[in-house]
Amino acid sequence: MVRPWGIALSFVAMALVATLLLQRLFPYPFLFLFFPAVMASAWFGGMSAGLLAVVASTVLVDYFFVPPFHSFAINATDGTYFAAFVVCALVASWVSSSKKQSEEALREARDRLEIRVAERTAELERSNAELRRSMQEHEIAEQTLRKTQADLAHLSKVMTMGELTCSIAHEVSQPLAAVVTNGHACLEWLSAAPPDVGEARTAAERIIRDGTRAGVVLGRIRALVKKEAPTRDWLDMNEVIRELGVLLRDEAARAGVSLRLDLATDLPRVKGDRIQLQQVVLNLAVNGLDAMRGTTGRPRELLICTAKESSAAILIQVRDSGAGLSAEIAAEIFRPFFTTKPQGIGMGLPISRSIVESHQGRLWATPLSGGGSLFQFTVPIGSRDHDE
Amino acid sequence: MSDPNSIVYVVDDDASVRNSVGSLLRSVGLRAELFGSTEDFLSAARPEIPGCLVLDVRLPGMTGLELQGEIGRAGIGIPIVFVTGHGDIRMVSRAMKAGAVEFLTKPFRKQELLAAIHQALDRDRARREQEAKLCALRSRFERLTSREREVLHFVVAGLTNKQVAGKLGLSEITIKIHRGHVMQKMEADSLAGLVQMAGKLGMHSHR
Repeated sequence: MVRPWGIALSFVAMALVATLLLQRLFPYPFLFLFFPAVMASAWFGGMSAGLLAVVASTVLVDYFFVPPFHSFAINATDGTYFAAFVVCALVASWVSSSKKQSEEALREARDRLEIRVAERTAELERSNAELRRSMQEHEIAEQTLRKTQADLAHLSKVMTMGELTCSIAHEVSQPLAAVVTNGHACLEWLSAAPPDVGEARTAAERIIRDGTRAGVVLGRIRALVKKEAPTRDWLDMNEVIRELGVLLRDEAARAGVSLRLDLATDLPRVKGDRIQLQQVVLNLAVNGLDAMRGTTGRPRELLICTAKESSAAILIQVRDSGAGLSAEIAAEIFRPFFTTKPQGIGMGLPISRSIVESHQGRLWATPLSGGGSLFQFTVPIGSRDHDE
Repeated sequence: MSDPNSIVYVVDDDASVRNSVGSLLRSVGLRAELFGSTEDFLSAARPEIPGCLVLDVRLPGMTGLELQGEIGRAGIGIPIVFVTGHGDIRMVSRAMKAGAVEFLTKPFRKQELLAAIHQALDRDRARREQEAKLCALRSRFERLTSREREVLHFVVAGLTNKQVAGKLGLSEITIKIHRGHVMQKMEADSLAGLVQMAGKLGMHSHR
């Protein structure tokens, strides 16, 4: 409490000195200099310093400037004037200190707010960092998942192709056999007397055609097995299915199954990954063939059809006349690692479903009443008009 | 090599293979007829000249092995050369047991195929000759009277004229005359020849 007293007394002293000095220059005392002293005291020292300054000023003004000078007595004529001075000093002190108080309260509130804001900002930054970290973790996990899924899809594809090895070998060995036989024939026609150039030419032309055919088959198989990042092209699903027909026809014949394709003529193109969608159809078809291995007493038929499901999607169906699906099996078939095949890994259908879902389509299975089962999936047509 | 009096039937569902085999066969002077399915082959008219069948084991509809069974049951008797992209042992043994001439895997060598085809054609030619002979024999047998057939039956069973006479209640002289007619009509020059003919006709000797 020493400082407010000191402040009050120093300001008042300064006012006194200044007034005394000014009195030498002018005939009237400038008493108003005490008001700034009171106000400054109240401002810097608070209410008590202000009051002290008022008291000190009052005493000093009375002593030095109110007649009779150098005495504390007051003439009755100067009483009103003196009282006005005291009241003014009190008001000045009060105004100044209360102004100071409210300003300080304001500052305090501002300071408090600033601290709160800083705290909240730090808090937000912390949670932001945490969010970023968890997003990163999530992304890494997702990448790992995608990679694992891709690996599994590839594995399942390779295994499906493995099941088709015999058919593939057949599809390649047929044209090769024709090439060799035509080669023999060509030589034979040329070494005849006279050489039959026409027949020899025909044979040579066939050699070229059949060699090319074997190459195409191999190329198609390599494309199917190759590991590639998914793409999105505009596809004609009919064409995609027809390409598979080469492999499936033979595999079906091997299983004693007649393969029928019933492809809609006005099928809109869809946006998708050719190889992935081929993998789905291949998976479903091979499953269908497997399901008919034990079928007797009714025709073994594998039917693949395409149709426009609605204005928004196309539908691909694979229907077999095999053992069909019991309720328990139907509930399980899309679960990873569930399999009814001795050599299966149980990934074909889950992968097929995830492929279809990545194309925003649906894949589901229905048992048929007359035996056999129906697997079907949709692929949305997409909003864009199909471009060629 | 050339033999226009025989036909090689080629049944293969793969047009490339079928045509190449056809070209090869024609280049060595063989007559080839090509079919895309077993059903087509069965429904086609086949001239009565020596022939053989070059057959793919695995065909749509009726497979080669099934056709082999069908041909066996129908008594068509045409020799078969099987060809396949990849034969498993079971398939081969089944085909060979059922009388296939050869079982070739694709791609086959020219010599292998032609050798097998010639072997098959020879077999068919021999079979046809045999059948022609049997046919002639049957028509000769048809000319015998019922009494002469009875006599033939007992004679080839090894009975003497006297025993036959006893069995049929006729004189030995009559049997001798019947037996003379039988030898003449069957164009047999000895009893041994007659017995052989009876065997071919499927007559069983029993007393």
